[in-house]
Order: sequence, then structure tokens, then C-alpha cells
Amino acid sequence: MMRYLILGIGLVLFFMEPVFGLFSPLKLGGEYYYIVPRFLIMFLIFVSVYFDTKHAMYYGLFFGLLYDVFFIDIIGLYSFLYPAICVVAGYTVKTVHRNLFVATLLTLVLTALFEFVLYQFFSLIALTDVPFVAFMTTRLGPTMIANSLFLFILGWAFKSVIVGRLIEREKNPNAY
Amino acid sequence: MFHLFSNKRLILLLLGVILLVAMISFSLRDRDNVSFPEQLIKDGVGAGQMVFSGPAHFVTGIFDNVDSLLNTYQENKYLKSRLEEFAGVQAEVTDLRSENTDLKALIGKKEDMRDYNPIQATVIARNPDQWEEKVIINKGSSNGVLENMAVMTAQGLIGKVILTTPFTSTVEMISTQDPNYRVSAMVIGGAKDVFGLIEGYDSERRELLLKRIDANIDIKEGQQVVSSGLGGIFPKGIIIGEITEVTIDEFGLTKLAYIKPAADFSLLNHVVIADRVMPEVDGEDNGLTAEDETP
Repeated sequence: MMRYLILGIGLVLFFMEPVFGLFSPLKLGGEYYYIVPRFLIMFLIFVSVYFDTKHAMYYGLFFGLLYDVFFIDIIGLYSFLYPAICVVAGYTVKTVHRNLFVATLLTLVLTALFEFVLYQFFSLIALTDVPFVAFMTTRLGPTMIANSLFLFILGWAFKSVIVGRLIEREKNPNAY
Repeated sequence: MFHLFSNKRLILLLLGVILLVAMISFSLRDRDNVSFPEQLIKDGVGAGQMVFSGPAHFVTGIFDNVDSLLNTYQENKYLKSRLEEFAGVQAEVTDLRSENTDLKALIGKKEDMRDYNPIQATVIARNPDQWEEKVIINKGSSNGVLENMAVMTAQGLIGKVILTTPFTSTVEMISTQDPNYRVSAMVIGGAKDVFGLIEGYDSERRELLLKRIDANIDIKEGQQVVSSGLGGIFPKGIIIGEITEVTIDEFGLTKLAYIKPAADFSLLNHVVIADRVMPEVDGEDNGLTAEDETP
């Protein structure tokens, strides 16, 4: 039962994203601000940092594929980027000390990077004509603020769940 | 241990990149129908998504109710002032409607491009990354939804169906950047109806572009724009928006009008899909046949 806890949390976050997406764009003082919920990738980065990168990659591939097929009809975009971000996270965390502050910071930097890569891709295939400055102020800025709020509130919970699973796995390694 | 660039991994990575590029180019082509595994995933995820979007709509509904409760006093004042006017308009509409039916019966015209069967649907998800303007609704081909049907809210047109699976469909909003997205429209309220095409969206002004209007025809700000029904799929008379500015297009040959959309594209909940009663023409709602489209 506990084995599927991480996958379960991933599924819930996957379904929560579009629900929160319905609130965007936000109109404040005549300007529209886009807030993109990135709960799942932040959780996957945590899995990659605290659990192991291989599992994070598999989950990333699975959820990325669902995302591609269900939402954007471009197969291969998220299903490549999710695992790729997890690999970068797993690789980076080997060289630095692992604590909650570092994990949070790394997650936010990688989420911003993820958003930026997507912006470059959609500009490339001409699905958007948003200029770079407008992207920074109306999309990346508000998105990062909202997501960091989410992470500050739930980051420790992610960590304790994942570390709990890790300890359980070390107790009986035959389960894997 | 983690060796990023051992030989085996490098080959796998290269294969992965090749596969990725192949997949992206395959799925970026204009595909007419969705493959079976994709349909399966879409319907499966759609079912899960409905479980989550139900409570979310309930909560936003409560906030909406509180919000409208706070505005009640001002709204009531405004509505009272409009009420007297409304009675007159109502009488006139009834009169015109019965006259219209009589006249139609007189000339033996049964079908009208205005008639459509509404299919009620609920928005279950919006593409969370918001680069493409797409929403997913909970009615699919098993409910009679077909590709290219018009989708609207009570306020006006919001988009058209671009993909259907048995139980869900994907709606591309009218505010998309897709250059192939066209809607035949007409400007009403002048001496004669003026026809044009909605082509493109100005994301900075958040207004639609109505192009290909004859330069000799005079159109003014404030006039309403509705769908013309001449594209072959949309019913006639769905409100699109209101003209805010009229200019000359980049070649100086035809006029271009900016249109403020009547519908609000954010926080969508209930939408109506218009299944036109009159026979539909294959293709997109742009008034062109397949032969015209090939340059």
C-alpha cells in the first residue's frame, strides 16, 4: 500500500494542476498575469533529490506522456523534459550538501529553467509571439512566485513522505 | 553510482533524442483523427480529471456567488433603469419573431442557418501551461460532438472543437495564435451586413482581428460582429464581439478591424456546443474548400 504513495501523490498533483490552471490568467490593474501551476515537476525534483533519480525519471516519463497526450498533442515534449529535469536535479545534488533549503532552491531554479525551455520551444514552432520581456514579467515572474509559495508550504511534507519511503525501502530491500 | 556519460548511456541518450524529434514532428503535423492509444489515454485522464474538477467548480461557484452578492445593490440599480426599456424591446422581439415565422411560412423556407441543437458541456481542464489556448470538455463523439463545431458561452463565441474522443473533446479558443484558425464573421448594425474573416489575435491588446473587409465599405466602432454561418459549420448569429478600431491592413487593400471579444476566456465552466441543423460542409469554418486552400 505504502509502495504506491509517491505515485499516488504524483497523480493527485497531476490532476490538481489543470484545476488551478482554470484560475489563470489573473487580471490585476489592467494587466494580465499568467500563473502556471508546476506542482508535479517540483514534486518529481524532490523525489529525484531525496529518493533516487531512476524512479523520478520513470515517473517523469509516465506523467510527461499523459500530459503530452491529454493537453498539448505534441508527444515527446513533456515526456522528454520531465525526466531530463529529474536527471539534472539528481546530478546536481551529488555535488552539494543535501538539505531542505538547498532542495527548495534547486527546485525553484530548475522549474524556472523548465518554463524557459518551454517558452523557447513554443516560440520556435511559432505558437506564441510573446516578447521576452513580457514573458519574464507576465509569465515567469508570477508563476515562480505562486509556485514558490506552494513549495514553501508543502516542501517539508514532500520531504518527510519521500524520506519515510526511503527508510522503509532500506529496511526491506527485497521489495524492489 | 551514476555515470552520466558512459558509452551505453550515451547511445541510449542519442536514440532517445532521435525518437523525441521523430515523435514531435509526427504529432506536430495536422492530424485528422486521434490514434487509438491516444484516445484511450485522453478518455482515461479525462475521467480522472472530472473527479477533481467537480469540487473545484463547486468552490469557484461559491466565490462567484459571494462576489455577485456584494455587487447586488449596484447591479439592481442599473437593472432597474434598464427594465422599462426591456419591456419595449421584448414586445418588439415577439412581434418581429412572429412576423418572421409568418414570412418564412409564406415563402416555404424551413431551414435556417441560425438553427442549431445545443449540446451542454462542462470544462474539465484547461491546458495548465497556457501556451496554447485549449480547454477540454466532458462531451465527446458519443454525444454527437464533431470536429470544427462552434463552442460558446452565454456571452458569445469562445472557440471550436479541434479533436474528439468518445468521451472528451479538445476546444481551441478563438484567442489562439494559430494562423490557420479562421471564422467567417459579419458586422451587423450598418445599412448592410458586412462580411469578413476573423483571422488572428492580438495578444497585447487582447482583441481579435477581423480581416478582408472591402475597403469601400464603411464600418464604425461599436458595431457588433457575429458569425455569418457562411463558413459552412458554425450557425449564423453567434455573438463574437464589438469593433473597437478600424484601420487599413498591411497591404492597404482591405480594411482590418479590432474586435473586443464578448465572451470572457478565463474561468470557463459551462459551455454550449452548437450542432448546426442545416447540413454542414466538410473542412474548417473559413468559407474555403480544400481546392482553394492549396496555393
